[in-house]
Amino acid sequence: MLQLDILTPDKKVYSGEVKWVNLPGAAGAFEVHQNHAAIISTLGKGDLKLVEANNIEKHFSVDGGVVEVLNNKVVVLAEAVTA
Amino acid sequence: MANLKEVRNRIVSVNSTQQITKAMKMVAAAKLRRAQDNITRIRPYADKLDGILSNLSASLEDASDNIYASEREIKRVLIVAITSDRGLAGAFNANVLKGINTFIQANYSPAFAMGNVEYMALGKKGFETLQRRKDVTALNGDHAFVFGNLSFDAARPAAEWIMDRYVTGYYDKVVVVYNEFKNVATQIIRTEQFLPIVAPAASATSTTSTDYIFEPSKEEIVEELIPKSLKIKFYKYLLESYASENGARMTAMDKATDNAKELLKALKLEYNRSRQAAITKEILEIVGGAEALNG
Repeated sequence: MLQLDILTPDKKVYSGEVKWVNLPGAAGAFEVHQNHAAIISTLGKGDLKLVEANNIEKHFSVDGGVVEVLNNKVVVLAEAVTA
Repeated sequence: MANLKEVRNRIVSVNSTQQITKAMKMVAAAKLRRAQDNITRIRPYADKLDGILSNLSASLEDASDNIYASEREIKRVLIVAITSDRGLAGAFNANVLKGINTFIQANYSPAFAMGNVEYMALGKKGFETLQRRKDVTALNGDHAFVFGNLSFDAARPAAEWIMDRYVTGYYDKVVVVYNEFKNVATQIIRTEQFLPIVAPAASATSTTSTDYIFEPSKEEIVEELIPKSLKIKFYKYLLESYASENGARMTAMDKATDNAKELLKALKLEYNRSRQAAITKEILEIVGGAEALNG
């Protein structure tokens, strides 16, 4: 399981455990599963898709940002996120 | 002795003033709480961003060639005055304007300031005051009303406006004057250089250097993150100022309520005195009249 936090300057948009997450990286979309290598990547404009433990999918649209993955913790920093 | 009715009217009016100041104090207190919540909410984002950035800058050798940090000959300066939309907050807005004057006097000659210092006002009060001043030749008030509904999205255009003009070389230096929130009773006037970025004292990087994969590249990530962190910094100024404003108003209104209380006390004393005097006078007249009849 991954701990995922999606933060904007105004609020915490999402925080919880997810199976995996699909991110709109600036250099192409990529997925983060358990034990992903540490990475820092910028994000482009696009869809962020995550799957929770009970296989429920959630989508957010992200307008640029940055993501850090470290030790099964994923932190997405974005200026504007809409559900 | 003052007229009874006159005093009664004054008591009524002071009473209602006191009620208003009391209500304003409560409103300011509620708004202050919300403002402080906002500051707490921005913290995780800002901390994380700073963390990533310092992690990266440490591994980058020439962070100095970043476009937001280029020191150049100062030809045009922008002063950003962060005030409030509303008054009745004690010396809150006056302090900002005083801070600007002090800064200009200390750094620039009047001749230079006349043509080369431009202003940007955030907050209606500062905008109106600066507009009236003769030595203010260029004033941007496009974003003067951000405090109507303060959010990051509202603050972003103002920050972008400034950053654009710095990058294109129109402004060579940007200084922000605002109230820093220390506590409800104390606000500190700060004059901070927003651009070019003042390099933080190179801390001995104790950050555990994890082997990150960088995508697309370190340089590009830094380039993308610096403007973001600048916008956050700018938003923080606004939040600080907003919290300070409400703190200042709370204190001012508290004092006003106290003053009204004291005034009421004095007025009531005067009212009772004149009432008693009137009664005494009437009794004297009655007694005098009765005695005249008996006599």
